[in-house]
Amino acid sequence: MASVATVRRMAWLGMACALGATVAAAPARAESVLRVAMSAADIPDWTGAPDQGYEGFRFVGFSLYDSLTEWDLSHSDKAADIRPGLATSWTIDPADHKKWIFKLREGVTFTDGCPWNADSAVWNFKRLMDTASPQYNVRQHAMQSWLITNIADITKVDDHTIAATTKIEDSLLPYEVAGYFQISNCAVTKMNNDYTAFAKSPSGTGPYKFDKVVPHERLELVKNADYWDKTRVPKHDRLVLIPMPEASTRAAALLSGQVDFIEAPSPDTIPRLKEGGMKIITVPYPHNWNYQLRADRPPFNDVRVRQAANYAINRDELVDMLQGVATPGYGKFIESQTWYGKPLQYTFNIDKAKALLKEAGCMPCKFTVGISTSGSGQMQPLPMNELVKEQLDAAGFQVTLAPMDWNSLIDVFFGGSHKYPQYDAVNVSLSSIEPVQGVMKSSMTRFQPPNGWNWGYFTDPAIDKLGEEALSTFDGPARDALIAKMHETYVADAPEVFIAHDLNPRAISPKVHGFVQAQSWFQDLTPITVGD
Amino acid sequence: MSDLSITGAGATADPNAREAPPASQVRGYWGNVWQRLRYDYATLFFLALIILIVASAVFAPLIAPFDPNKASMAHRLKPLFFRDNILGTDEQGRDILSRILYGGRTSLLMGIAPVVVATIVGGLFGVVAGYAGGKVNTIIMRGMDVFFAFPSVLLAVAISGSLGGGMINQLITLTVVLTPPLCRVAETATSQIRSMDFVDAARASGASTTSILFNHVLVNAISPVLVYASTLVSASILLASGLSFLGLGVSPPTPDWGLMLSTLRQALYVQPIVCAMPGVAILITSIAFNLVSDGLRQAMDVKA
Amino acid sequence: MWLYAARRLLMTIPIGLGVTVICFALIYLAPGNPVQSLLPPDATAKDIEELKHAYGLDKPIPIQYVIWLGHALTGNLGISIQTNRPVLDEVVRALGNTISISVISVILAFVIAMALGILAATRVGGFLDRFSTSIAVFGISVPSFWLGVILVIIFSVELGWLPATGMGSAGSDHFSWFQWSEAKYAVMPIVALTLTPLGILMRTTRSSIAEVLALDFIQTLRAKGLGRTAIVIHAIRNALPQILAMFGLQLGYLIGGSILVETVFTWPGTGFLLNKAILTRDIPLLQGTILVLAMAFVGINLIVDLLQTAVDPRIKRA
Repeated sequence: MASVATVRRMAWLGMACALGATVAAAPARAESVLRVAMSAADIPDWTGAPDQGYEGFRFVGFSLYDSLTEWDLSHSDKAADIRPGLATSWTIDPADHKKWIFKLREGVTFTDGCPWNADSAVWNFKRLMDTASPQYNVRQHAMQSWLITNIADITKVDDHTIAATTKIEDSLLPYEVAGYFQISNCAVTKMNNDYTAFAKSPSGTGPYKFDKVVPHERLELVKNADYWDKTRVPKHDRLVLIPMPEASTRAAALLSGQVDFIEAPSPDTIPRLKEGGMKIITVPYPHNWNYQLRADRPPFNDVRVRQAANYAINRDELVDMLQGVATPGYGKFIESQTWYGKPLQYTFNIDKAKALLKEAGCMPCKFTVGISTSGSGQMQPLPMNELVKEQLDAAGFQVTLAPMDWNSLIDVFFGGSHKYPQYDAVNVSLSSIEPVQGVMKSSMTRFQPPNGWNWGYFTDPAIDKLGEEALSTFDGPARDALIAKMHETYVADAPEVFIAHDLNPRAISPKVHGFVQAQSWFQDLTPITVGD
Repeated sequence: MSDLSITGAGATADPNAREAPPASQVRGYWGNVWQRLRYDYATLFFLALIILIVASAVFAPLIAPFDPNKASMAHRLKPLFFRDNILGTDEQGRDILSRILYGGRTSLLMGIAPVVVATIVGGLFGVVAGYAGGKVNTIIMRGMDVFFAFPSVLLAVAISGSLGGGMINQLITLTVVLTPPLCRVAETATSQIRSMDFVDAARASGASTTSILFNHVLVNAISPVLVYASTLVSASILLASGLSFLGLGVSPPTPDWGLMLSTLRQALYVQPIVCAMPGVAILITSIAFNLVSDGLRQAMDVKA
Repeated sequence: MWLYAARRLLMTIPIGLGVTVICFALIYLAPGNPVQSLLPPDATAKDIEELKHAYGLDKPIPIQYVIWLGHALTGNLGISIQTNRPVLDEVVRALGNTISISVISVILAFVIAMALGILAATRVGGFLDRFSTSIAVFGISVPSFWLGVILVIIFSVELGWLPATGMGSAGSDHFSWFQWSEAKYAVMPIVALTLTPLGILMRTTRSSIAEVLALDFIQTLRAKGLGRTAIVIHAIRNALPQILAMFGLQLGYLIGGSILVETVFTWPGTGFLLNKAILTRDIPLLQGTILVLAMAFVGINLIVDLLQTAVDPRIKRA
């Protein structure tokens, strides 16, 4: 299997060893390297259409590429919001509320020297929207088109201005495009639109440049010293991303000095990691670990039963079990988000839960919930679900847990509850980084399957009205107020059992300094320095 | 193809064993076997151990000190001899000893049930192939040959990986993996016996095919098949635990040794000894089955 | 001999075809949608269909098989859904990594097993016999993945002597057996892999040598006054074909069955690839890896069989 070069290298190394020479693996000038163990099962796609969930966006997408708008990840004391990225400003056309105008940043070039301008932007949108364009690619389309489903057309206004026409009025479009990556049109065109060739030397505008990849093992990026945002030029030379799906392997790798930064250590390894001198960092971010309920048939078609389930959850006990790496969940958003509002709080109250169930005439209230055995964002699904079941049973429910693997649960979730009548609820963790995915897609009638995530066919005219209104309100604060109102209504309606928000623990070696954990699914690694 | 073996144990029982002894008198043969076993104290000891393990799994509800699924957040991951939790507690504060006792039910089921089914199915096919010979033999045995093209672990992972996890799927997988080798052992034994003098004699005296099959062929083919089947129990337990470890086994919260190992892996840093316990259970059970099958082979005088 | 070899070779063809049928049939055992893992949450039915079409998963099953077989015969095992790279490339690079540790493990097992087995066979019932038999029983009874996990805890986490995971400090592309800083990554996987074949080979060696020692002609040799060492060498020579056959078989098992150990140590071999394929539901990759491994196993069996016939012409083959 070894290539000629390998054999030659081996022979050379063997000779060197025989001569007693030390073959230094490191180059002359010690470069500072940050090695990250991801929880992903494999290296996420690096051609601008990340897979492996948000981890692919977090480590690969945002490192190599930029979007028109970008998440501001520089603070850890408030929820991340968007700020200018490859677009310096955006405004809605006052005459046409379906037309957004983006002013593009000038003087930016892709790492291959190709200039960023309106042509590249239009080219990038056509990559997914226009099946007739040469750069159209099924896989890229499948991975990224969900971010721009509401865009009808993109046109060039001038060299540094584009206009996006939406299908319906959409005040939240700037949020939706924040993860829509812009890749080098020159590079792809030069490679005859072959994305497999592009994968060998991808080119974006991001803070890092692609260096090399060992398939399934590691992706190595180097800093882009010419990055347009001088404050975000990485403070280390090289970023190595290693997929390690197994939590105990990640812990062992960190403890034995093989990596410097690990995602999601399991709570039980945290004391050992601390003992080994590692820093554990946690921060709230808009993540939900809830039960989505089937709202169009008993028992959960009765709001009292849904509320009873919410009152029956002792969230503090759950947080204790997780060694504090989660916070109690009382709604879809987290409190630091503008859209949280002042919803009803389902503080643990077993008597109230029992009373509500009695009132609804559901005693014992039987239901089956589909859960996964593992999965991205699912935290520790088995012990957590067993505890939740215990708490619900204590209040008069009779819960049957139906465990399955993560992919099967995803099928159940996206198929909708009508397709899987055996489940009354599912436990799928979701993000709520912005309002469209946060509440709209899981609550509005028009997002019932197959159009969205309203798994349980929940419907409330008040929610629908608030949602449509918010999408047509282009004044930021007014729009946010409507969304907060919508969230309050949502919590009161309780189409979900609100349980927990993950704190996304990370463990970092004492050599790693300067990391600011943002309240987001995404993180900025650029300020990190790696000492000795 | 010269041989097959499952993970390890099978290596000592060559299905191509050409010397299955024909016992002229059935009772005498089994009598001899018992006589030999009686003085093989090591085998008897491990046989007693197996009986003990099986009994403790069967009577788990009577002897387990705790409910195996009763979690207690206050008593997570406690060490050995913590209060009444002799073997400590797991990541949900459940009693390890009780879970090992109950887990024995699943793990032994995974060790024994597929072997029994495979012995019946594979044995039947093997006897038919061996006795009928000719085209029937070719069809059955060449069909089995295809499965021999897969190392057992690979075949198990391929089937399980495609079918997905769950107890039923795991039982199916293990049975499919174990059937071909048993079929081959039965076929070899039968085809040898078929050509032996006493079978010819029976045939000459006008005995029917059924009678010959049951009275002569089956009783004589059974020793090598049983000996070989006994070596597969430990292999099956190991294979099942491996599948559970890869997440292709029974679904939680069902107690199962392989699954316990896999979930406790996260807690190895906290309570290494407690977390190693399900592995010890697998190891002891597997050793006991291996040694008893060695003893059986000697007693039944089936050549390795 | 040549006739047998030719027949044996011909027999491999239907088996190979059978293997392809099984590998192909695997997709249809799988629940769920093979392209689901690739798709984002909001993928529409149209996206799913398009992607299925792109991977040829929308045609009738027999047609898919014929197409797939035709491609497989020309070395085209399709494109990995997850990585978009040719499956053959993926499998070939992984196979090299698996073969290297498997071969070392089996050779290591063979050497130790021969030494222990010979010692045991010449001292049946003695202390050394009991000691080596116990090691052998442990070897065949211990779950290798469990052993692997325990090795990691002891030697990586607690003692910090050996790396816990991966193949080399900069990935398998830069791995070298001639530099301790790299080669140490292979130590624990090799130890975990060695134990099972060690147990099996040791038992085979012991029983086949003890058997030969008990044969009439050895008694005759002994009566003729041949020295103890000479007799043992004679016995080894006689037992060697059987031991060699077992050696080949164990190599085949390790190459095809290293998934557990590779998963524990994230050693980037075929087992690791298989596990990734299962986790990400990458059906072309799963099929291709299984096919290549099964074919490798068939090939090793064939070679072992032919070698055994060549070494020991007494073995008559039907």
